[in-house]
Amino acid sequence: MQNLAVPAVALERDNAPDAHAIELRDLTVRFGTGTGSVLAVDRVSFSLAPGEFVSLVGPSGCGKTTILNLLTGLLTDRPEGDVRVLGKSPSAGNPDIAYMLARDSLLPWRTALGNAVYGMEIRGVPRSKCEEQAMMLLQRVGLGDFADKYPKALSHGMRQRCALARTFALQSPVFLMDEPFGALDAQTKLQLEDVLMDLWSANKRTVVFVTHDLAEAVALSDRVIVMSARPGRIVADVRIELPRPRNVRALQKDTTFHKLYARLWSLLEQGMSSHDH
Amino acid sequence: MTTRSRLTIAAHVVFIVAFIGLWELASSHDLLDRTFFGRPSGIALFLWKGFVTDGKLWLELGYTLFGAAVSFLAGSIAAVSVGLLFMVVPRFHRAAEPYLTLLNAMPRIALAPLFLLWFGLGVGSKIAVGCSLTFFIVLSATVAGIRGANSDHTILSRALGASQRQVFFKVTLPSAVPVIFSGLRLGLIFALLGVVGAELIAAEHGLGQTLAYLQSTFSMDGVMGLLFLLALLGLGVTALMNRLERSLLAWQ
Ligand SMILES: Nc1ncnc2c1ncn2[C@@H]1O[C@H](COP(=O)(O)OP(=O)(O)OP(=O)(O)O)[C@@H](O)[C@H]1O
Ligand SMILES: [Mg+2]
Repeated sequence: MQNLAVPAVALERDNAPDAHAIELRDLTVRFGTGTGSVLAVDRVSFSLAPGEFVSLVGPSGCGKTTILNLLTGLLTDRPEGDVRVLGKSPSAGNPDIAYMLARDSLLPWRTALGNAVYGMEIRGVPRSKCEEQAMMLLQRVGLGDFADKYPKALSHGMRQRCALARTFALQSPVFLMDEPFGALDAQTKLQLEDVLMDLWSANKRTVVFVTHDLAEAVALSDRVIVMSARPGRIVADVRIELPRPRNVRALQKDTTFHKLYARLWSLLEQGMSSHDH
Repeated sequence: MTTRSRLTIAAHVVFIVAFIGLWELASSHDLLDRTFFGRPSGIALFLWKGFVTDGKLWLELGYTLFGAAVSFLAGSIAAVSVGLLFMVVPRFHRAAEPYLTLLNAMPRIALAPLFLLWFGLGVGSKIAVGCSLTFFIVLSATVAGIRGANSDHTILSRALGASQRQVFFKVTLPSAVPVIFSGLRLGLIFALLGVVGAELIAAEHGLGQTLAYLQSTFSMDGVMGLLFLLALLGLGVTALMNRLERSLLAWQ
């Protein structure tokens, strides 16, 4: 959509109290120009209500990370379409957003506490407040006794817990998480999903959660958006009608959970084969 | 200490004693030419005399250590500063790179005669040689360290809204420190090497100069003694840097 063509609409929306925390309209992202260009994301539209937890699933390379990078303002190529985060265009360093990457990306020269304060420190939160908040979160994720340990002394799961603490220590209303538990073993993953659910229920942020694990998507989300293989398009938007609060480990035996899981699988498979259109 | 490590130490002691004993025996029975290989008792006597009875070696050692320390400090401070400047002004880096590569490709020891001409027989010329060796080693380590910053850390910091300055001080620099440090360790060894090398060619004082003199007068005991001393010095320097690294970079 041409931005020039919609000033009236844009104005109207800016004035109205924005019902959406995140809104994408006809988002198209192309990397490079000319014959060598890659169409990564093709006319994707979706929106999230405030406090909604939405998972984004789809084959590798379908543009999930690209969408998150775009929302964070890290994408340098100009996309087509309209993207709003709490009514604002994306910009790098937007304090409304907290980003969590697949790899824990802990700074190895900082202790667990040092890492947990890092986000707040960059955002200029006063030191004493940072540490108090970070310490509280480390305790919440079960790392209270490891606050002064360096990442090399932490297991994979513990490092990801620390990254969770760093993310939740930020007061941002919007969370973008890119396969945060992708590198963990199944057991640790279930544990951390429960930790995430605890933290999130206590303070409901709007979450876009990218994952390859459909069970994880079903267990955590209010909605699951299924994308097709590249160029990424939306194949389905499935509401997950499971009661909250959820216990991820208990859900593994739930029949509705399994039905939803099977349904998402078939949708995902359709998306994978819908290459030639 | 475990029995195993005690056994290892004992084995080393036995080996060294046997080695020295054989050497001593062979040279006293003229199986080994003393004018080429020296002899352990002579070497011990030389070191004893040099450090205890007349103490002359202390002065030479002092000259060499002073030269190495100044070379190391000047060379590495300059190198880290230039490396950081390169990072801040990449255009300057690109412009300077070919010249630096050319200079670095030059065998620095071969420049020693030139430095002697420019800076004289005193401490200046050996510092110039030592400095020129240290500088390039530390510079390339600094550049490599800064380039090696993990992109995840940079992405995360930028997403959090870190300014370029914050990214530099909170991510790039700390992640470069270990690489710079191993450059510094090598730089210190090379500072010593450069200084001793320059002294060997020509100098008024220093272990290298003494070594060259003893060699020209065929006092092999002295030559062997000094070589042993230089090896110990190198070992000491490495051990010192390792200690420093362990306490400074506890997170590694
Ligand atoms: N900076 C870039 N320059 C060029 N092409 C890019 C760039 N970033 C991503 N792409 C391309 O865009 C497509 C989407 O990439 P993206 O990383 O968003 O996929 P993804 O859905 O996150 O995949 P995965 O599940 O494997 O993480 C890929 O085909 C990729 O090659
Ligand atoms: Mg990705």
